[in-house]
Amino acid sequence: MTVFLSGGAKNGKSTLAQELAVKLSGEGKRYYVATMIPTDEEDYARIRRHVADRSGLGFETVECEKNMLSCLDTADADGTFLVDSATALLQNALFPRERNYELDLDGAKRCADELLAFLQAVKHTVVVSDYIYADAQRYDAGTELYRKCLAGIDRHLAAVCDTVAEVVAGKPIVYKGVLPL
Amino acid sequence: MVLIIGGAYQGKLDFAKSTYDLKPEDIFTCSGGEIDFSKRCVDHIEEFTYACVQSGLDAVTFFQAHRKQWQDSILICRDISAGVVPMGAEMRAWRQMNGLTCRYLSGEATRVSRIFCGLEEWLK
Repeated sequence: MTVFLSGGAKNGKSTLAQELAVKLSGEGKRYYVATMIPTDEEDYARIRRHVADRSGLGFETVECEKNMLSCLDTADADGTFLVDSATALLQNALFPRERNYELDLDGAKRCADELLAFLQAVKHTVVVSDYIYADAQRYDAGTELYRKCLAGIDRHLAAVCDTVAEVVAGKPIVYKGVLPL
Repeated sequence: MVLIIGGAYQGKLDFAKSTYDLKPEDIFTCSGGEIDFSKRCVDHIEEFTYACVQSGLDAVTFFQAHRKQWQDSILICRDISAGVVPMGAEMRAWRQMNGLTCRYLSGEATRVSRIFCGLEEWLK
């Protein structure tokens, strides 16, 4: 089964995603795909907070900054994968560290293709993204491109996933399918 | 009138095209302070409200004055309401005018759809 969750910051997407992944996995393997490349103390604090949230839930952490399919070098495709988040994966691909954060549109396209291929390759996936599309700003071209690329990935994911929900104040608004709770 | 709202890049126009069988020639894309209501669909109303802020025109008054012309239209507007209060006065005024316009139009609409990642949430 595939579940796509999005919503605004701090609305409880990750917490709900963990709950769903635990439910879906049953007695099977459950993996947390760590996507963020930490760059400062704020990032490390966030990682610590998320690790504490997950403790005791039985997740194995798989580090994956880019190619989602590389997770399967070590993880069992018959498991359940929590991918948190598409936003970080895209950031890593569109502004790659190894290219001094210069724009890489091909990288972004690859990232989207690999993520969609990954969904088909494994048993269960819960993917989290961020809803960054409803504010009154005129962004610079790079940021606008990032929003556009992420929205493209979101829409692809929403089209192929069995269940799609927006998380608002910890509560899901379901647009498609049923949440396996 | 049908109102379609949602964040940037969510697929509002694609939804309108497939749901209402729109052809490219049916669509007017706002880029300033004028709207061609002879087209079945008016897209990017947020660009019209932005132009209104710049020119000092009130968008709601404009829509009220042209009410007869858009009774059968499909109107599409981006939701720009959900971020931090913008630092710039113009962006704040834009956010306000766009919000008031969407509220007016949703009150007048026979159907209101919000598009999230390409999927419809039926609000009215």
